[in-house]
Amino acid sequence: MSLQNLARIGQLKPHSPTADEVQRLMAAVRRNLTDAARIDNSTETRFDCAYKGIMQCALVAMLASGFRPSTSAPGHHQTMIQSLPLTLGVSNDTWIVLDALRKKRNQNDYTGAALEVSAAAEAIRQAKELLTTLEAWLRREHPELLRAPR
Amino acid sequence: MSSLAIQLLGASRAAILAALLLRPEVEMHVREIARVTGISAGTLHRELRALAELGVLVRREAGRQVFYSADRSCPIYEELAGLLRKTLGLADVLRSALAPLAGRVRVAFVYGSMASGTASAQSDVDVMVLGDAGFTAVVKALHPAQAKVNRVINPTVMTVAEFVRKWRARDGFALSVANSQKIWLIGDDDVFAELGKNRAAKAA
Repeated sequence: MSLQNLARIGQLKPHSPTADEVQRLMAAVRRNLTDAARIDNSTETRFDCAYKGIMQCALVAMLASGFRPSTSAPGHHQTMIQSLPLTLGVSNDTWIVLDALRKKRNQNDYTGAALEVSAAAEAIRQAKELLTTLEAWLRREHPELLRAPR
Repeated sequence: MSSLAIQLLGASRAAILAALLLRPEVEMHVREIARVTGISAGTLHRELRALAELGVLVRREAGRQVFYSADRSCPIYEELAGLLRKTLGLADVLRSALAPLAGRVRVAFVYGSMASGTASAQSDVDVMVLGDAGFTAVVKALHPAQAKVNRVINPTVMTVAEFVRKWRARDGFALSVANSQKIWLIGDDDVFAELGKNRAAKAA
């Protein structure tokens, strides 16, 4: 499956990225990582912040690649995780963990199932790693999006 | 394979019963049963007819097609399904998937609808893993098992201390997990009761 194919089945829409939106989102990822790192926050909150950071990293990579999720199609989160190997070249092993975090968030939000410390710790680790990957990728593939907005 | 179900029932019969009794709401065409069990047509037809005559399976003809499904009114349906749940398919697959982590896992078990026998075709498999294995290692170990059991597997990975702390605080999730029916993958009721004693001692 390519981004083009995801667009063909209505999961994605074409998009023209701007430096402004990319930098706004990157700042949001960093804010979320700071909030996720606060140890006086609950495990749930730390997980939620880190997970949000992961989603925002996936979104930046997707926007920069010329697509955005179609808000009318169901399963955005799954589509976002699915897009990461296609945009940032995330490995299959990492994808498995990210998809498990997505299911964890789903379960916690909709069934009230426990959110364990190890899941929050892994979400934080993955978010940090993804941000590093994303920054390097933007510098390499889309340096124009990192320049100061006019 | 050294599964108890296979020893007791024979490989063909165990595979047929697992295919039908573990998904009792699904009716299967003979060819489909042949595909999932890998049993040759002759043996399969003979076994299916015998099991239907015994009242374990229901046979239904639609035109030239023959379908089979579990007969839930069979007096030993629950016991047979329980035997298969605990020894074949699900439990066996999960147990061998977690085996490489056994040194870092104190107890692991299936809880929720799959353990209590109330699962539907869409139900996920809830797995609790207590120990020091960590979320990532467990997720990676269980990931390939999802295709084998044809269900989504949702692991919850806690240290023993984290679970006991929640349990002691009468956390709703910990209590319902502790009280739910379990299919043991690593450890057993005794090891789990030991954790509970620990809990009582600390609470005192």
